[in-house]
Amino acid sequence: MRAGSLRLPLRLGRRYPAFGLGLGVVGLWLLLALFAPLVAPFDPILQDGTIALQPPSPAHPFGTDNFGRDVLSRVIWGARIDLQIAFLGVIFPFLIGTVLGTVSGYFGGLVDTVFMRILDVVLAFPFLVLMLAIIAILGPGLASFYIAMAMVGWVSYARLIRAQVLVLRGADFIVAAKSLGFGPLRIMFRHLLPNAIAGSIVFSMSDAVLVLLNGAAVSYLGLGVQPPVAEWGVMVAEGQGFITTAWWMTTFPGLAIVTLALGFSLLADGLGDMLGVRE
Amino acid sequence: MKRNRLSLAAAGFLAALAFGSGMAEASGVLTIGRREDSTTFDPIKTAQNIDFWVFSNVYDVLVRVDKTGTKLEPGLAESWTISPDGLVYTFKMRDAKFSDGSPITAGDAAFSLLRIRDDEGSLWADSYKVVKTAVATDPKTLVVTLVTPSAPFLSTLAMPGVSILSEAAMKKMGAEAYAENPVASGAFTVKEWLRGDKVVLAKNPNFWEAGRVSLDGVEWIAIPDDNTRMLKVQAGEIDSAIFVPFSRIAELQQDKNLKVQLDPSTREDHLLINHEHGKLADVRVREAIDYAIDKKAIVDAVTFGIGQVANSFIPAGALYHFGDNLQRPYDPEKAKALLAEAGATGLTLNYVVNAGDAVDEQIAVLLQQQLAKAGITANLQKVDPSQSWDMLVSGDYDISVMYWTNDILDPDQKTTFVVGHDTNMNYMTRYNNPKVKDLVAAARIEQDPAKREAMYIEIQKLSKADVHWIDLYYSPYRNVSRANIDNFYQNPLGRFFLEDVVKN
Repeated sequence: MRAGSLRLPLRLGRRYPAFGLGLGVVGLWLLLALFAPLVAPFDPILQDGTIALQPPSPAHPFGTDNFGRDVLSRVIWGARIDLQIAFLGVIFPFLIGTVLGTVSGYFGGLVDTVFMRILDVVLAFPFLVLMLAIIAILGPGLASFYIAMAMVGWVSYARLIRAQVLVLRGADFIVAAKSLGFGPLRIMFRHLLPNAIAGSIVFSMSDAVLVLLNGAAVSYLGLGVQPPVAEWGVMVAEGQGFITTAWWMTTFPGLAIVTLALGFSLLADGLGDMLGVRE
Repeated sequence: MKRNRLSLAAAGFLAALAFGSGMAEASGVLTIGRREDSTTFDPIKTAQNIDFWVFSNVYDVLVRVDKTGTKLEPGLAESWTISPDGLVYTFKMRDAKFSDGSPITAGDAAFSLLRIRDDEGSLWADSYKVVKTAVATDPKTLVVTLVTPSAPFLSTLAMPGVSILSEAAMKKMGAEAYAENPVASGAFTVKEWLRGDKVVLAKNPNFWEAGRVSLDGVEWIAIPDDNTRMLKVQAGEIDSAIFVPFSRIAELQQDKNLKVQLDPSTREDHLLINHEHGKLADVRVREAIDYAIDKKAIVDAVTFGIGQVANSFIPAGALYHFGDNLQRPYDPEKAKALLAEAGATGLTLNYVVNAGDAVDEQIAVLLQQQLAKAGITANLQKVDPSQSWDMLVSGDYDISVMYWTNDILDPDQKTTFVVGHDTNMNYMTRYNNPKVKDLVAAARIEQDPAKREAMYIEIQKLSKADVHWIDLYYSPYRNVSRANIDNFYQNPLGRFFLEDVVKN
């Protein structure tokens, strides 16, 4: 990595402190996740009954769980899964919602009506209930979680983009593009979308917070990540029975969720400032 | 003896009436926290412990199981005789009344017994098909004739499912209304039932042993979260709590304001194996799984040393338990060798786990690693408990952990379910050994206790040799109560003797 490549984020960080802080926190977790095998002191799934439920100590800074697994190592390895959840859980709804929202807003008429009614149907159900129902049908597991997220999460992006496209549709530069004889695909994705997408990008960051919490909630309910894989929501669930006797089992993964979620929120806030978007 | 007891009861009853009015009402109400609320008060329409345990407070039965859970003792039947051929049982009813003041007659007993056999909604009909007729020859005499001799018959009469109901009230109110607000034959009546929240019981002044009851009432309160329930009893908001999590026992025992009761139970946790799935049909493969599992480690990690490693499907302390039954030691190398011999190296198993059950999930995580050491890959599949049961029934699993608690004293019930080759496919394992099947049927009608015990020992040996399933551990009932509560006790079949509880 050239030294120069760091300069832009640093400069942005100074001008937009929220963005800088958020980038720092999320970046730190990203690095930890990437280098988990090097950073984590122990194997996250190795059980050792002789050292079960030990409080934090120099050997195990975050203590050990009821199977004698090192909580610190599990938190670090868990970052991989949780970041994956935050990324994949946002990217699919983002792509689907953006495309549908653009098409719907640009063409209007029957296309718009059909998409918007589907959207109303999805919105009519409470978010988590609908997701749990889909996962229950598909069977527990992360793949089901991503599919459910894609099926339910796209509505927010579609609405955001559609509203923007509706405003921009009559703008002079679009009229100009049309009179130049460009096809609808080119107009939609080369001219409309770049001008309409800023709000969605900002929203995707705050959405990452919700997705992360949803992923943790779903895993907590036993429908997401399957044991013995370390995931923060699962760790909180496993530690629940020990909350009065072994606080470290729930506290540290809980803090990990909080910091990563906070990082994403700050990132969203900073991006909003930078791109001039107010939610 | 019996007469003395009766007059004692009468004296106690009068004394209770005399003093009862002078005592503060609230001090005599015992509040108990439990995981779930009751589902019904119709005894034949449930098989859940959560219901049965309250039935024992509200209804009495003809024959009771004593506090130690090893003997039968008279309940509403004062005495009984059995004909030499073992077919005719004659019960003499004691003088007792329902909570509405009407007498409990042999007719009510016959009605209750035939109802569990014949009613469409009965979950227990099969267990009582052995009853040919039940007739009240006079209000104090019940004559039951059986189809074949049945050694366990008397102990099935102690099951809360055959609680004695009032025939007149049932006919008048209808089964549904009765299930909401029953006429009681036991120590307490149902004063109020807030579904999903709590069952409020009041002392039944017409109970034949009312003198024995010191409490004014009982509240069974549903507090699903384990931590909350324990906190409430620690804070003194409730008097007792049942289902103490294993992880909390050592800590609660330190608390001087609390008493932790670990009462022997008949609960056994075991690993079901689907004998019809591929290599699992080979006994060497099932043996290998048994060798690959370190039961002691499970007892230590999951029950915090409170449980006991199991060696037979008939639990320790229960009738005809065979203490010297084979116990395969933990030996992953031997497991590997057996798997290689059976040509099952690299065995992969689908392990169905009940989602949301902390103990089940902990066992799953442990077993997965233990099996991995023997070269067996276990893929965990967490599913909702309602769904997992259907999967077990339809054979859509390789291994899964389940538990069983006995409902009756006699081992016949569990033995029939587990290795009797009846309609439930040997508790979903699809185990098949005709020799065991015949022995179970023969043991059911054997009248000589010594011969019968020998038969049950043989059944335990044979099924262990076949690895019909893998016995994991036995665990006690775990209850906690405030220091001022005395005699809060559960017998091995789960009955709470609330009639003896004293709140100081």
